[in-house]
Amino acid sequence: MNNMNAAENLSMEPEIRIENLSVHFQDKNGGEPVNALQKISLDIMQGEFISLVGPSGCGKTTLLRAIADLQNPSEGTISVRGMTPREVRMQKKYGIVFQSPVLYDWRTVRRNVCMPMELMGVPKKYRTARVTEMLELVGLYDFGKKYPHELSGGMQQRVGIARALAIKPEILLMDEPFSALDEFTKEKLHEDLLMIWRKTNKTIVFVTHNISEAVYLSDRVVVLSPHPGRVSAIVDVDIPRPRPLSVKNSPEFNELVMKVRSSFEGV
Amino acid sequence: MKVLKKILSSKKMVIVVWVIGLVIVWEIGATIVAGSKRSPENVLPHLYQIIGSVFDTNLVNGKQTALQIVLSNAGITLFRAGIGFLIGTLVGFILALLMNMFLPVEKIAFPYLMIIQMIPILGMAPIILAITKDIDKSRIVIAAILTFYPVATNTLAGFKSVEREKYELMHSLAATKYEIYKKLLIPSCMPYFFTGLKISAPMAITASILVDTLQGGGGLGCMLSQSLKHAMTIYVFWQIVFLSAIVGILSFYLMTVIEKMVSPYKRIHR
Repeated sequence: MNNMNAAENLSMEPEIRIENLSVHFQDKNGGEPVNALQKISLDIMQGEFISLVGPSGCGKTTLLRAIADLQNPSEGTISVRGMTPREVRMQKKYGIVFQSPVLYDWRTVRRNVCMPMELMGVPKKYRTARVTEMLELVGLYDFGKKYPHELSGGMQQRVGIARALAIKPEILLMDEPFSALDEFTKEKLHEDLLMIWRKTNKTIVFVTHNISEAVYLSDRVVVLSPHPGRVSAIVDVDIPRPRPLSVKNSPEFNELVMKVRSSFEGV
Repeated sequence: MKVLKKILSSKKMVIVVWVIGLVIVWEIGATIVAGSKRSPENVLPHLYQIIGSVFDTNLVNGKQTALQIVLSNAGITLFRAGIGFLIGTLVGFILALLMNMFLPVEKIAFPYLMIIQMIPILGMAPIILAITKDIDKSRIVIAAILTFYPVATNTLAGFKSVEREKYELMHSLAATKYEIYKKLLIPSCMPYFFTGLKISAPMAITASILVDTLQGGGGLGCMLSQSLKHAMTIYVFWQIVFLSAIVGILSFYLMTVIEKMVSPYKRIHR
């Protein structure tokens, strides 16, 4: 009986609960403060793939950074599994993938992936095995001994993803990770990411300005609008998974893209 | 045509052209001087005369040939320069660390560093000598003073050039300050640190030679001034000029070699 309640609670409680979150940036020249985010409320469920989309200046990256505890909220709260973002960060439960790969150019690919585990104090033999596992997952096993500058942009970004996943984070936060990549590389990485997500069952918060990318990847697309940053629409993507690339040509896919786009234009 | 262009633009070719050009200009000068001055070897001797003096077996001061004098004194000077360079490197690096860790340290220390750099070595030497009361120690201290400034400023610039996202990655992994320095800041400042070393290594040697001239006790600078005062053959002077130029360049390349050993990766050029 108790167990059942617990299970029910687990499925009901959101993984991330954002309530009335506001972030104001003080203007450096003493002008009016900028409202990057204004009273945002949003629940994100465990294992959900959620995208934040919007034009530049809508605060989507700020929202991600607030979840990651890289940005202090001005008002409102974020609770992640009942904890503050800071507590979750201190427990090293976040995996972050940035817009640029942020690799350490003095470390080989293997040692880049290894770095977060060194910080966690994972014993060496487990680290080695885990690095191998992660590089196989992102298809870069043969490149372990290379330095970052020897890899293409897409490969570098995959190293960044492998590094983020290596510490088995509960939540994967991705800030426009594919925006600098060409269309072919991007599509390949989309498939890889969905495969990884299916295998690992992480919660993923994905920031992008690319509507089609958001719809293709996500369970839900959160549309943000600027000045001040607020949620203007949440679009459920009920296209069944796994989604082949051809799904992008289907009428239902295009309908959803149009729906997201129209909530942009309503801004 | 294309092949010729490639050969001419290769690194070795550049050096060869440089050396040949220098020899030509030198020899033209020497020829003019030889025709117009009474003792041309004091102004600009021919290169073959200098090279000849290296192999000259005449005893200059009753005990040693010119080359023996130069080499034994070079050992003394380079030893002092080396010790001073090591001390200066250590102090410079630690100072950069402190300046990066504590903003007040940077604010307070930086103007003083600038001032120390602006005092001419010849003005600083008597002050240091008065403090250390020992000419050999003061020579080492001055080499250290000249070394630490380029090392400190370049290393500090290296710390400050680390991208925000690299910090944020460490922050998101709840890295401690110690871990951030060990895994991010110190490795990423290495190219800057070595830039500092490449500037200061030849400087430490030049400064040592210069400070040698102030008092006796051996060293290239001492011999240099004695030779200029005609206490011994003038070719000791010319040999020292060439030797110190060569050693200065070698010290630069030594730093490059050490850098390659310490950080074998190539930097991403942005």
